[in-house]
Amino acid sequence: MKRYILYLLPIPVLVLSVFIGPSGAVDSRQILIWLAKTIFSYHQDARINDTLIRAIIWDVRIPRILLAFLVGGALSSSGNALQSMFRNPLVCPYILGLSSGAAFGAALALATSRIPVQLSAFVFGILAVGISFFLARTKKSVSVVTMVLSGIVVSGIFTALLTIVQFMTDPFKLQTIVHWTMGNLHHAGWEKLRSSSLPIIAGMIGMFLLRWRMNVLSLGDDETRAVGLNPEIEKILILIPATLAASASVAAAGVIGLVGLVIPHTIRMMIGPDNTHSLPICFTFGGSFLLIVDNFSRTVASFEIPIGIFTTLIGGPFFIFLLKRLKVGWDI
Amino acid sequence: MAIRVENLCFSYGERPILKNITLDISQGKFTVILGRNGSGKSTLLRLIAGLSEPDTGKITILGRDMQKLSLRERAKLIGFLPQQHRPVFPFSVEDMVLTGRASYISLMPKKQDKDKTAEALERVGIIHLKDRAFTELSGGEQQLVMVARVLAQNPEIILLDEPTSHLDLCYQSRLLSLIRELVNQGLTIIAVLHDPNIAFLYGDEFIFLKNGAIQPLENSQKPWDMQVLRHIYDTDFQSVAYGDKNLVIPLTSM
Repeated sequence: MKRYILYLLPIPVLVLSVFIGPSGAVDSRQILIWLAKTIFSYHQDARINDTLIRAIIWDVRIPRILLAFLVGGALSSSGNALQSMFRNPLVCPYILGLSSGAAFGAALALATSRIPVQLSAFVFGILAVGISFFLARTKKSVSVVTMVLSGIVVSGIFTALLTIVQFMTDPFKLQTIVHWTMGNLHHAGWEKLRSSSLPIIAGMIGMFLLRWRMNVLSLGDDETRAVGLNPEIEKILILIPATLAASASVAAAGVIGLVGLVIPHTIRMMIGPDNTHSLPICFTFGGSFLLIVDNFSRTVASFEIPIGIFTTLIGGPFFIFLLKRLKVGWDI
Repeated sequence: MAIRVENLCFSYGERPILKNITLDISQGKFTVILGRNGSGKSTLLRLIAGLSEPDTGKITILGRDMQKLSLRERAKLIGFLPQQHRPVFPFSVEDMVLTGRASYISLMPKKQDKDKTAEALERVGIIHLKDRAFTELSGGEQQLVMVARVLAQNPEIILLDEPTSHLDLCYQSRLLSLIRELVNQGLTIIAVLHDPNIAFLYGDEFIFLKNGAIQPLENSQKPWDMQVLRHIYDTDFQSVAYGDKNLVIPLTSM
């Protein structure tokens, strides 16, 4: 029952989010009438400004809602996949330097204005993960500990490079870079949604297909090998879609913290660690979570607070509440 | 012959662990590998399981060259139970045992895999634990779950690395009786054990390792002969008759 609720959660959240926004120019009644008109082609009401509502709903809110949902879902699923792969519930999608790489890529693009920011962030995010992975590779095996260590080192190097870019750039661009690293969705539009949805959906499909094998891998390398799977190949197979989805998310929305760590935990606490269910539910729940947080960040103040700050402010206490309330025996 | 090992050598860096091991392991028997800590028992088992690569030598499993078998093919022939298993996530017992079916599953388990899982749990007598979290079970129960996992794998040979180390006497006897039962049903089981008495009570054949080399028995020698055990364990023993076998008590200098 609980699982079905979590699977279906996005439906009401997505629908309700259409009615939430800072614009005072439209109210729920007007939106409902416009939707009815658009979908069923009836009801004429001269008092409703079609063009304005269309612009707000279709051009601003819907792409943003979809992007927030996709990004939240992708970061959570990626976190879930990597936690299984690393056999460590403290892992998040940024463990192998993805966020630092992406932040450097974005900063480089913003500072030079020669390359598209989203593409640069995406490429550098993947590059950082690739470097961490191959640095950790010795002979035929990739140990989890060396991978985490090389992730820390690569992350440090990209952070240093980011600092150099920030140091050398002009104050106006510096402000943009800092704002980007905080994570935000206010530039969301159809174009951004289109370019990020393809890698996110491809990554999601990859992770979805491999979700049971994550169960096997999360028992350890020896146990995986003993039952007939090659842990090194499985790690690569899981790492590729997880990185693809997370990197595309970071490229589109900046560094949004805590979602990839907290949501997989929350889901495991609610339905258990079986990845066959936890992975898809991480997508539906993580997407809904980020969307709800984004709705808050758009409406709570007269100016827009970067969503990355909100995810931490809302996600942190929520997570602590869950940890305290549910007795969870992590065996580590 | 279930397993044939020929001229097997293995070393960690410069340090040789196994020196030119050659042995045959009979099919349908419970073979026990005995020796002191660091004698290379677990390494030998890991090499037979295919978890480590030998420096030189050849391992043949049921007439097939181990090197030429894929991991999946290997897993259908050999099941391996490692010394310790500490899963981080609190998987249910059923999910744990189901992972034993990995070599038969491409992406998602099917009904027949779940049936085999239930069958393995029944066989070990722990079907009542199937929905419990593995991490909440006692050490003995966890070991039985791992045996069920190996059985779900449906192998012809099972390798157990010190399966009784962390168990109380009740679980030790339960597990060893189960091993005996499985051997009587036709499975080949090879285990590394620390306690020679348990080995003599339940085992059929014995392999003694000392400093990475096999210590063969002379024609008239029984495995429980004092001379053999003194040489293997560097300890004096008192022998106690038990049926047609002898059990041993280590002598202390107190």
